[in-house]
Amino acid sequence: MRRLVWAVVLAVGAAPALAAQGSTAELLGQAHQFYERLEVERALPLLRQIVSPNWPFEVTPDQRVDAYKYLGACLALAGKRDSAVLYFRAAIERDPFTDLDPSLFTPAQLATFDEARRHTLAVAVRPIQAARVDPRTTRVSFTVVATHAALVDVKLSAIGAGSPLVLFQGTMDGVREVAWDGLLANRRLAPPGRYTLAVAGRSRVTGAADSARVYFDLRHEIAQLEDTLPDLDPRVLLPERISAEAARRDVAAGLGVAAAALLIAGAANADLGGSERGGADVVAATAAVTGVVAFLAHRRQGAIPQNVTANARHRAQRDSTNVAIRGRNADRIAATALLVSPAAGEGAGP
Amino acid sequence: MRAARLIAAAIFLLGAVAPATAQRALTVAPLVSLAEHRVDAGFGVERSLGPILGAVGTLRLGPGLAVAVRALGGSLFGANGVLDRDVGELGVEGSVVTGPWLSLQAGATRRAYGTRLGRQTWTTVDIGAVARVAFAGGTIHGVGRAALLPVVSVTGLPDPGVAFRAATGLEYGIRAATLGVEYSLERYDFPIDQGVRRVEQLAALTLRLGLRLR
Repeated sequence: MRRLVWAVVLAVGAAPALAAQGSTAELLGQAHQFYERLEVERALPLLRQIVSPNWPFEVTPDQRVDAYKYLGACLALAGKRDSAVLYFRAAIERDPFTDLDPSLFTPAQLATFDEARRHTLAVAVRPIQAARVDPRTTRVSFTVVATHAALVDVKLSAIGAGSPLVLFQGTMDGVREVAWDGLLANRRLAPPGRYTLAVAGRSRVTGAADSARVYFDLRHEIAQLEDTLPDLDPRVLLPERISAEAARRDVAAGLGVAAAALLIAGAANADLGGSERGGADVVAATAAVTGVVAFLAHRRQGAIPQNVTANARHRAQRDSTNVAIRGRNADRIAATALLVSPAAGEGAGP
Repeated sequence: MRAARLIAAAIFLLGAVAPATAQRALTVAPLVSLAEHRVDAGFGVERSLGPILGAVGTLRLGPGLAVAVRALGGSLFGANGVLDRDVGELGVEGSVVTGPWLSLQAGATRRAYGTRLGRQTWTTVDIGAVARVAFAGGTIHGVGRAALLPVVSVTGLPDPGVAFRAATGLEYGIRAATLGVEYSLERYDFPIDQGVRRVEQLAALTLRLGLRLR
């Protein structure tokens, strides 16, 4: 029951807005029908109602532009050229992309519309559409317009950073596509952030000036990068030089082996004569001499060649792995795609 | 018979635990020993001395597992009227590394002494450990071995009550080769029989050259 009540309340609340939209669209539709039947005198009052400040219902910008355009067209048909120019100018000022389709309007209407454009300078940028652009093969495209011949600057800049990049500078009349390769003035890929495209124009006919600006967010679409291997932990590497302590241990190890040989021979031979222990003596002497020689050699040189080689191999392996990782990452960065989406005003960006 | 069963069990165990995919390495080590045999059977110490030649083949089955087969032969010449004797030996041994410097070993040996009067065979099973201490930056290793021989079967004699083997030496690594020098001693104390205590020992100074084949 409670849900039903809420549904009714919502329906009642939403009804006026829908009705307002419906009323304007309905009236505009009727005016179009009258115009199609060349019943200009019946169409004009309807169109004037829509653009009147007293019209009680909501009018969207497109509806308002459409109403002004058809008012101009009706008045041109009625032979009221000056009034037609005024209404056409009103349409052009509100939407500089407004145009008349030559297949639907008469040459007189088109001539009147051209006159209105000559009297009105307006520049604009078409709203930016969300897009994914691979800068290696395609370009980000902006559509700009100047209603008549004008010197136009189209500049792109990152919000709060650097000097703007000039995308176009010259005379234009009408609509023009301006392409951007995704690079900034330093020829590097534009970093992610919020950007603005500013269009400024000065009429070559009247000297009047106009400007427009749109904002968009730029993001990078890039494959996951790999981390390079960290520096080798010294604990992982083998010691490359023998420490003084290790050298002393060599002496101890040699003497330990010597003592063990003598101990084995002495202990076991005791009850079997005990005099013959030449083999043990040989090993004991060899071990003792080896320990001392190792100690002296290490004090003089100290390097452990096999460990140096093993560590060098380990380092080379790591370096080659990192080179491969950097190469793969560079390929991925080179394949970065740009994601463009419209934005409102100067914000922090994505 | 008991010794044979133990040998077979040891080999079976080594074969079972060896990983099939492990990297294998074969080392062959020809050796030469100067051996001295002493025995006191109640008539004073009899001593014989002589050279022994042989080789040890070691197959590394995995990172810490190896099997070795040993074959030796030589002559020991008696002093002061002691009979000369020929000696031959076959042995098999398995080892497993249990730490950076320690490995455990188990093996079995069949040894035969022959004189002009007769032939005597020894069958032994040994269990022990080998300690290896690296010095000179790992180029040289000090080696110590100790093993008990819990099974010793000698033809014509009772089993000894105490039997052990001990050895110590050095191994020098030269590229893929290893030159080893080792002093070893085997000791057998037989139980007193009719008031006589028999003691035997075999000591040897061995020079061995290990060559890694693959």
